[in-house]
Amino acid sequence: MFILTKFSDLVQISPEDFSKHSIVAIEDNINAKYANKVVQKIGLCISLYDVLWTSEGLIGHGTGLVNVNVEFRMIVFRPFKGEVMLGRIRSSTPSGIHLRTDFFDDIFIPYEELPQGAEYNHSEQIWIWNFDEERLFYDNHEMVRFQVIDEEWHDQTPAGPTQAEDTPAKTPYKIKGSMAAEGLGVCLWWDGA
Amino acid sequence: MKVVEAQAAVLSNYEVLQHLTQQKDRYKQRKRRGPPNLETVVRELIQYLQSHPNPLSQKPSTYTPNSISQLLERLSPYELSKGEVVMILNLRPASVAALNTVIEEMGERFSDEQQEEMVTIILEVLGQFEAAGPDANGNADDAAETGNVS
Repeated sequence: MFILTKFSDLVQISPEDFSKHSIVAIEDNINAKYANKVVQKIGLCISLYDVLWTSEGLIGHGTGLVNVNVEFRMIVFRPFKGEVMLGRIRSSTPSGIHLRTDFFDDIFIPYEELPQGAEYNHSEQIWIWNFDEERLFYDNHEMVRFQVIDEEWHDQTPAGPTQAEDTPAKTPYKIKGSMAAEGLGVCLWWDGA
Repeated sequence: MKVVEAQAAVLSNYEVLQHLTQQKDRYKQRKRRGPPNLETVVRELIQYLQSHPNPLSQKPSTYTPNSISQLLERLSPYELSKGEVVMILNLRPASVAALNTVIEEMGERFSDEQQEEMVTIILEVLGQFEAAGPDANGNADDAAETGNVS
């Protein structure tokens, strides 16, 4: 579920941070820039893991910023294809089920990835799995196990003047999952037995 | 920003939780806070890792720093892939059915006895939830409360 990614970046320490130890200032700077943000094709950055190397601090003309080149490793959330994870049901629509984890919201299970015999109940707005005459409910807020089958990336960098103003921003990182295989789906179905 | 190495290593949930709690303690000691975005994601992630049925929600923790190497050693005869072992560490499958979701084509690769053996090894190394713990309705909170009273 988590990987370490090695980055190199220029860290600029502003004068108000000079009272901090340089390593603390660098750490805060990197975390402020990366934590809880998605880097395209890498994943959701969580926190700095360790600093591998730093250059001398250099002050350029015009500003009082200290420039330091840093090489560091980040903890990144990036489940691999085929990984089985836990998530919670956020909402259901006829097209599938939206899942979330506490820290990541964009997980979608399309209807064709639900087990055979699953049907959508329009009045309750939930999915129901008819299994051996039993009706099993995909209730909201229920813990489920799912398998990651695909990921989708949308770069949010502005496209320039050609971009229409009212186009809604697409989520930068989206996970597509499956709950069709045996053992996947609401945890209670499998653990309770 | 430059990505030097997209995937330098894989971390298990336990290692991530370890790192985050240490980092939290360090901040506490120095009586300072990290950037707000870091605080948010760390708080939410710890919450996720410590909610039932995640094995890390169990207290006292059954995971130790040695667990990982011990598990790797004992599962080595089965020649599981790295991803499969990481998932076993993260999910701690407690039955053959649960193990089946984690291991690809398990029926063809392993005999029934081998599957049972793997479940036993996982149980021995990583522990398990107490049977008397959360009931079938998943009322982990209720179970914890009654536990405190008695």
